[in-house]
Amino acid sequence: MPDPSLFRLRATFCKQGRLALLSHLEVARALERAVRRAGLPFAVSRGFSPHMKISFGSALPVGVGGTGELFDLQMTRYVPPETVLEALQKASVPDLMVKSCAYIEPHAPAASAAYPLSTYRALLSRAVRALSVPETVTVVRKRKEKELSVAEFLVGEPELSGAVLTFSLESKPTGSLRPDVLLRACLDEADDLPLLLFVENASPSSVEGDAPTAPLRALSVTRISQASRAE
Amino acid sequence: MTDLWPRLEPLLSEAERPARYLNHECGCVRKPDASFRFCMVYPDTYELGQANQALRILVNAVNAQDGMAAERAFLPAPAFCDTLRAEGIPLFSIESCAPVREFDAVGITLPHELAATNVLETLDLAGIPLHADARAENDPLVLGGGPCAFNPEPYAPFFDALSIGEGEEAVPEGLALIRRMRAEGACRADVLLALSREKGWYVPGLYRWLSEDEAQRAGTWAVPAEEGVPACIEKRLFEGFSRSSGWEPCIVPFTEVVHDRLNVEVLRGCARGCRFCQAGMMYRPVRERSADNVVESVLRGLAETGYDEVSLTSLSSTDHSQIAEILARLNRACEGKGIRISVPSQRLDAFGVEMAGLVAGQKKGGLTFAPEAGTQRLRDVINKNVTEDDLFGAIDAAFAAGWRRCKLYFMIGLPTETDDDVKGIASLAQRAYDRAKAAVAPEQRGSVRVSVSCALFVPKAQTPFQWDGQIPPEEALRRVNLLRRSVKYKAVDVHWHDPATSFVEAVMSRAGREAAAWVEAAWRRGARFDAWTECFDEEAWRQAAAETGIDPEAIAQTAYPVERVMPWAHISTGVSTRWLARERKLAGEGSTTPDCTFERCSACGACPALGVDNELARPRVAAGPNAKGNADQVAPGTDADLFRYPGCGGEAVEPEGSARREDFGKEVSHA
Repeated sequence: MPDPSLFRLRATFCKQGRLALLSHLEVARALERAVRRAGLPFAVSRGFSPHMKISFGSALPVGVGGTGELFDLQMTRYVPPETVLEALQKASVPDLMVKSCAYIEPHAPAASAAYPLSTYRALLSRAVRALSVPETVTVVRKRKEKELSVAEFLVGEPELSGAVLTFSLESKPTGSLRPDVLLRACLDEADDLPLLLFVENASPSSVEGDAPTAPLRALSVTRISQASRAE
Repeated sequence: MTDLWPRLEPLLSEAERPARYLNHECGCVRKPDASFRFCMVYPDTYELGQANQALRILVNAVNAQDGMAAERAFLPAPAFCDTLRAEGIPLFSIESCAPVREFDAVGITLPHELAATNVLETLDLAGIPLHADARAENDPLVLGGGPCAFNPEPYAPFFDALSIGEGEEAVPEGLALIRRMRAEGACRADVLLALSREKGWYVPGLYRWLSEDEAQRAGTWAVPAEEGVPACIEKRLFEGFSRSSGWEPCIVPFTEVVHDRLNVEVLRGCARGCRFCQAGMMYRPVRERSADNVVESVLRGLAETGYDEVSLTSLSSTDHSQIAEILARLNRACEGKGIRISVPSQRLDAFGVEMAGLVAGQKKGGLTFAPEAGTQRLRDVINKNVTEDDLFGAIDAAFAAGWRRCKLYFMIGLPTETDDDVKGIASLAQRAYDRAKAAVAPEQRGSVRVSVSCALFVPKAQTPFQWDGQIPPEEALRRVNLLRRSVKYKAVDVHWHDPATSFVEAVMSRAGREAAAWVEAAWRRGARFDAWTECFDEEAWRQAAAETGIDPEAIAQTAYPVERVMPWAHISTGVSTRWLARERKLAGEGSTTPDCTFERCSACGACPALGVDNELARPRVAAGPNAKGNADQVAPGTDADLFRYPGCGGEAVEPEGSARREDFGKEVSHA
């Protein structure tokens, strides 16, 4: 058998619609099953419990979608990427759909580590003129409250354009700040009311008029790009 | 139909595991144009119900009909049930997110005795009146089925009709009748009267419930109240089972569920004849799918679902006449693909261990054996045809083959049990440990573990032990303590199940129609999700008994002579009551009865009553690789396998620390 590390495939996929509510583990399991359904010649690890050699990009929180999420798959032989893509698309459900495939260098950094910088786009329930970003966000880790400094993770200034908020976060080896947590903190500050996440197929048409009749909330949060490092 | 998704969606970001409620799984079917809509409900959460065989089979069978759609529904987790109530959102189906009460018919499976309050929770959350006689013309017909339908009385007032036996054909046929008559404008009562005349359908509202004295004189508790309604309802059997494909479309869930793998049913029925086991009585006769069928079904199923694990399910898969061939062929076909094959129910002998070894690969978790009783005398009483030598042969083989952990299942409180039998459990476990240690290299002996798990015997309807009482929970605890004191080895640990839940199971298994009021009162006092250890509310059941004047202790614990007419006398599995009585008498004498798939017919009556015979792919040979030697369940692989325990209907089996009780057994029959 040829060295399977020679056939290392990187695929991008979207996580959208109501499937944005899947957890990272659920996404991983669903994609692994899609790979099996696609009948690809995937590599299997040796050892006590053999499993598919597949690895995933950085995790998205439950409720946050993505347009260009990643997984890497080791194959035992070369199959043209367009053939792989077609097979994967046939085996995938629409809201968790593989978008592209390409072979990558055997020793390229893993999908989970290659792109620490993520840009998110949130669609808010109404247009706002300004949104203040808190200096710190309190999160609970292992039942302990922890204060995170937003500046440590936030890259550049959040961009607000009507009801669309775009911001970038960098994950650090020591940890990261979840986009939904930051957004919640911003919106809480905006009207001091709890945030409800609406994720299903939200479109700009769901955006309300200017009159603040209901609490400001996010209709959807989506990772729109990932990059290797902060500019 | 109303789409509840816009109202549900905002609640999901705060819900635990929203993937339970999402739909859009790979393999789910939507037929929005169907004119007749059926919703199949599993009365527990998605994780417990999604892998349920009855649900899969019946949803497929109904969707296969022109113009009929079947959708699934599950109970939300307890906290989310409360959220839905607070928001005024009724129980919804998964596929269309439509209110369950808008369907034409609703099927609720009764997988085990602790699901009764969840049936009421389901109906209430759906906004369907709890009592069949309170339902209006435009309410859906509520149909029941599954293992507990073999004593339907404690559920009788809540169901319009129950399907007795295997539902593959009975359910689509029953629904077709309902659809046709409804389309002709027939009222509920007329539809139900017609349904009651169909084979295998029981319409409780069309029977008059007698008093004890009347019942004992009449030979039945339920007397038809209308012309043409049958006095005895015989179970339906899916006669085409052995020839039907073992593969049928299944949904691949996103969130992790129990038995999250491809399940291929290799055979149905078990004729070993354990006298406590309801499954062994109600799925007769034994029908095997051929090796070719099984192998093709597994490979096709793996390819279409993408699962990396397949389980060859049945009550006793290693009894399959071609099991060795099946496993060898599957091993070859799956090599190098990281596929795990598991055989959840194996025999307690060296052959069983050999089969476990064929599929275990390098990873050997624990093996599970179920001797059920600690002494040969008591094993003969229960017709568990296993000797100590069988067990020790299995232990030698397993530990020599690399397993290091072994779990032994026993029941406490079996009929005729004495303290010597209880001490016998300790003795057997300790000697098993000695054998295990001797079978492994000295430097590895420290890792040898044997654990004992015991459950309180639950007398089940439709078994030879249906006339026997359950011992009181206090006595069960005394015996468990006696067992714990008798175990001297530190490496042998003892686990036991809460006898309070087994007590409710016994009541539900043996009660007549009067127990429905008890169930309803318990539910009104907050009992639900009784199968979840952390939710079981003993106090609610106790208060419900006081409130309704029901004497649950008498129902669970009274022992009767075999002449007594039991409350399920009008429901037939095909096995004759006379044979059950004879088996009970043989039990008292310590005489065993052979398995008719290996030896002579024991005249249980199932074959002549149902007009079928055992259907084996090949003869089971007493001296061959399928030697009947001895029974039983060996579950290879991970602990997840250990609690998949389809064999013996009597006992709850769960992994230590598990919060929820499995629905063991296969609810083939349903609806």
